[in-house]
Amino acid sequence: MRRTPEKLSLGWFLRHPLVATCILLALTIVLPYLRIGERLKLLTFLPLAHAQSDVSETPYEELSEDERVRFDLKIERERTSELALENSRLRDALKQLNGLGRQDPAFAEASMPTAVNAQVIFHGDSSTWRHSCWINRGKEAGIEEGMPVVSGRTLIGRIAMVGDNQACVMLVSDPAFACSCLIIDPDNPAEDSTERVRGILRGDGSAMPHFPRLELEDVAVGAEVGPGMHVVTNDFTGQFPLGLAVGVVREVIPQAGFLEVRIEANLDLSTLEVVQVLQHKRPEIEKQALALMRKK
Amino acid sequence: MAYAHRAFGARAHTPQYRWRIVGSGGLLLAVVHTMLLRRMNLGEFTPDLYSIFALYLGLFASRQGRYVPCLVLGLIRDFFSLGLLGSYGVLYSLLHKVAGRARGKLDPERIINVFIMALFGTFLVNFGYHGMLVVSGSGIGWTRALYRCASIAVASAPLAVFVYPLMHFGLDKLRVTRLGGFWNI
Repeated sequence: MRRTPEKLSLGWFLRHPLVATCILLALTIVLPYLRIGERLKLLTFLPLAHAQSDVSETPYEELSEDERVRFDLKIERERTSELALENSRLRDALKQLNGLGRQDPAFAEASMPTAVNAQVIFHGDSSTWRHSCWINRGKEAGIEEGMPVVSGRTLIGRIAMVGDNQACVMLVSDPAFACSCLIIDPDNPAEDSTERVRGILRGDGSAMPHFPRLELEDVAVGAEVGPGMHVVTNDFTGQFPLGLAVGVVREVIPQAGFLEVRIEANLDLSTLEVVQVLQHKRPEIEKQALALMRKK
Repeated sequence: MAYAHRAFGARAHTPQYRWRIVGSGGLLLAVVHTMLLRRMNLGEFTPDLYSIFALYLGLFASRQGRYVPCLVLGLIRDFFSLGLLGSYGVLYSLLHKVAGRARGKLDPERIINVFIMALFGTFLVNFGYHGMLVVSGSGIGWTRALYRCASIAVASAPLAVFVYPLMHFGLDKLRVTRLGGFWNI
């Protein structure tokens, strides 16, 4: 008996879910501008962000005692983080005046862009390979994709997805994170900016306590790098501002053709509560090219 | 009489608690993975509880309760992860196929077999996930990936030995019927 061929319909996809999932996965890979997966994930975290804002919108008198304590704590945390940010800025200004900045004009000119305070609403990532967290600020607070996220003056990650009131932060320890960095000897800073040791920061997705979680790749052989040296961001690609702290060099392993520099991060990324999103926009590619040409 | 027999047969094959088990299990594991395991700082030896659960469904659920529940569990994990939506969905639907083959060769009621299957199952899922990371340009190097997958598998397999009897006990308490070693979920 001849079987009639099945028609491709919604019912057929429901009976063959693996095919439907493969198509979904292929669409997210092949057509990244459609952002199907991202849109769905942003919808998932919307109730969490709303729940957070609902509490703050209710008049203080109508809140229960527990909610009042939480509200006060939240306000205190935000104030503390603002003070910490201001403190770190002042410390940096002082440091620039006293040491690094006086010897290196690039660092002296570097200033922190304006920051938006945000609270972490969901820690971690259900995958053992990826590292991310969700914050309660989005497009309405002026946050855009790719903006750097810091705590004080330490780099934490960058915005990976952004909704109206929520955003996902890709942490520096995520394997998909990459950033151009500089290695600086705090005791003996290089006088000429061309003498600085450069490398590309990559997370490897591993977690504490198995350091290193971070690595610098493509560091030239022969570069003077040793344990205890500081690693800061470079503005080479324009994605991150110059001079955000990343970590401290823990180990240097010579490889064929390059050095593998292992870094210990400055912060424990699993216990973050309040972060700041720097409103730093990546310069347009034409402007970047022009700036590079002028430098040459 | 025939009608009564058909009605009874249909009721006996109606899945019990399927979506409640998959949905609540997926959400609970999301909380455990993100809030508990991260804070425990187990490093490379963080167990992969989602894979253990998916393997349990692949080994012990009824024929209708393996494929789609595994896929949905994977999708739930994808929702709480930064990776591409569907990555774990595809991996877990493939895991149920592998589990089906393994069940034909090894008796999953024996502890040593459970240990071996959990070891290989979690290793394969994580190795597959790293393969997807490599495709998207975020691989961490095959040697290191092998080490990490092995570490995760070593941390997960002993847990499976304890968790599977507990899950049997829980399903039994929920009065889920079991026919031929398969739970009617």
